[in-house]
Amino acid sequence: MKLGWGIATSCLLALFGMALWLAVWGSLPLNSRPLPMRDALGPGPGFFPIWLSTIGLSLGVLLLIQTVREPADRDAASLIPERAACMRIISILVLLAGAALALDPLGFRIAAFVFSVLALLALGIRSPLAILAFALAASVGIFHVFYHWLKVPLQIGPFDHLLKPLGL
Amino acid sequence: MDTLQLLLNGFAAALSPVNLTFALIGCILGTLIGVLPGVGPAAGTAILIPITYKLDATGGIIMLCAIYYGAMYGGTITSVLLNVPGEAASVVTCIDGYAMAKRGRGGTALGIAAIGSFIGGTIATIALVVVATPLSTLALKFGPPEFFGLMLVGLCLVTGLAGRSLVAGILMTVVGLLLAMIGIDPVRGAPRYTFGVPDLYDGIGFIPVVMGLFGVGEILATAEHPIRDVVKTNFSRLLPNREEWRRSFGAIMRGTGIGFFLGLIPGVGAIIPTFISYIVEKRVSKHPEEFGQGAIEGVAGPETANNAYANASMVPLLTLGIPSSPTIAVLMGAFIINGVTPGPFLFAEKPDLVWAVIASFFVGNVLLLILNLPLVGLWAKILDVPYQYVCVGTLLFCMLGAYSINQSVFDIWVMIGFGLIGYLLRKLDFPLAPAVLGMILGPQLEKSLRTSLEMSAGDFSIFLTRPITLALLIISMAIIIMSALQMAPKEIREGSAD
Repeated sequence: MKLGWGIATSCLLALFGMALWLAVWGSLPLNSRPLPMRDALGPGPGFFPIWLSTIGLSLGVLLLIQTVREPADRDAASLIPERAACMRIISILVLLAGAALALDPLGFRIAAFVFSVLALLALGIRSPLAILAFALAASVGIFHVFYHWLKVPLQIGPFDHLLKPLGL
Repeated sequence: MDTLQLLLNGFAAALSPVNLTFALIGCILGTLIGVLPGVGPAAGTAILIPITYKLDATGGIIMLCAIYYGAMYGGTITSVLLNVPGEAASVVTCIDGYAMAKRGRGGTALGIAAIGSFIGGTIATIALVVVATPLSTLALKFGPPEFFGLMLVGLCLVTGLAGRSLVAGILMTVVGLLLAMIGIDPVRGAPRYTFGVPDLYDGIGFIPVVMGLFGVGEILATAEHPIRDVVKTNFSRLLPNREEWRRSFGAIMRGTGIGFFLGLIPGVGAIIPTFISYIVEKRVSKHPEEFGQGAIEGVAGPETANNAYANASMVPLLTLGIPSSPTIAVLMGAFIINGVTPGPFLFAEKPDLVWAVIASFFVGNVLLLILNLPLVGLWAKILDVPYQYVCVGTLLFCMLGAYSINQSVFDIWVMIGFGLIGYLLRKLDFPLAPAVLGMILGPQLEKSLRTSLEMSAGDFSIFLTRPITLALLIISMAIIIMSALQMAPKEIREGSAD
């Protein structure tokens, strides 16, 4: 068992359970109104969550104890990806976050185009032609299929008047 | 109207040019999802939900179901040629399928898998037709306590069969149930766990969570370990020889039975039937030593069980409204998005739709056989596409799918967050299926529990005085106890045996 990771996860889960438990009782600042366990009609809105968070909290603690007592049979460091893999994963997450931020102000086509180009570069593709072709298909192509053919509402963005004359 | 007449009407609808086209597109997309490692059927089905927004409900659901069983077919190709399962249920196929491919008989392995899948899927659909109406009629007699018990059995099965730790399994179920609590309380209308964030008042979307856990999470895992080389195989000989037919026939029949009966039980994931089928085949084989070295029964049995399960698992969904696996849970979400609520009332309220969908399973099985046998070489070519393009394309579809449900960037953030969580949980061996099923069953489970307690004025004995509920609760307890005993350390098991 991966001791360090297991402990960290158990702690987080136990904390998560505790936070939810406190939230039901109105002890968190942003959830100041306690949820009633019972009301005139029967079980109230706090009834199910309080039971669940109590079970969750107990299981988090139990898992933590289990993990501490279990002999470590695998090196915790092996769970951390090697440097190159780590960079790929971080790049994907950062680029996804960037695309989410850019979606509303720039529109789907530009956000998807920039995301595709940067993501392919981050994952090791170096052919400019392949990157350009894929990014165009993945941005303008997908937009065309979903927005025009399937009528799925997507963010157009402020550059529609520039892209339209280009047939994009 | 009798079942046969309803089924014939269903065939008339399913064979209409429009619905046939939807089924064909669904089969192609599903097979593609199955072929691409890193895109499982749950994420794949979720990603493609936006395609069905503008379709009519019948066409949309036919396409989504075709994507589901298409993905179950397609997963075999990567198992055989890459030794990487395209979806979890194809894990077992890697053992003998890959061994056959290394001996130059990958084409035969894929051929028998396609034929077995066709037979298993078709027989399971016939059985579905037979049991669906009586089961939905029986389910109509269920009250909230019985539904609570039934959902509990489903959750206990998913939890108990989920992985190496029962505690981790239950914890993940609880996390899923708690995630379902976010938003407005469905019974009294009180906001819960919203923390003053307006986006949380509608709750956390199920689809962005699934896309995150299974789509982004899988892509992150794939990015960590890029795919290995494809085994070059000969596709000129797909059909087995006489001896291979003889050996496969029994395996296909047993696989059909195993897959179908396990598919009827809510909560049994797709992996279990394939493993059981493999174990059974090894036990009954006259040549058990060939298993692991390329025994054709080791491919025929599990692949048949996989597709029989895929079709049979629609029974609890359509008749009881209970999903058996994360992918079926996604399908259930898609049904609801398309304005169709699965459950016992579906057969009474929308018989045209439900029978058209069931008939489309038969049509889909034929389409998949056509797509898989002659075109298997083409599907295998897709494996040559560098994983970078698959990664980026999948991520874009995930983003598009998450956004297009509510046109909300918040859903993309949810997807990214759960992508990271899914990746970490995968690395830590936490099972994801219980969280997903907990999340989709959470609102119904809570509603059934609270309505039951309202019926009894808060008296918990209502669950003990109704025979069906009591039986279901005992089954739930038995599942948890058996799972706990199975997962307990060896010393404890031996101690208890003494």
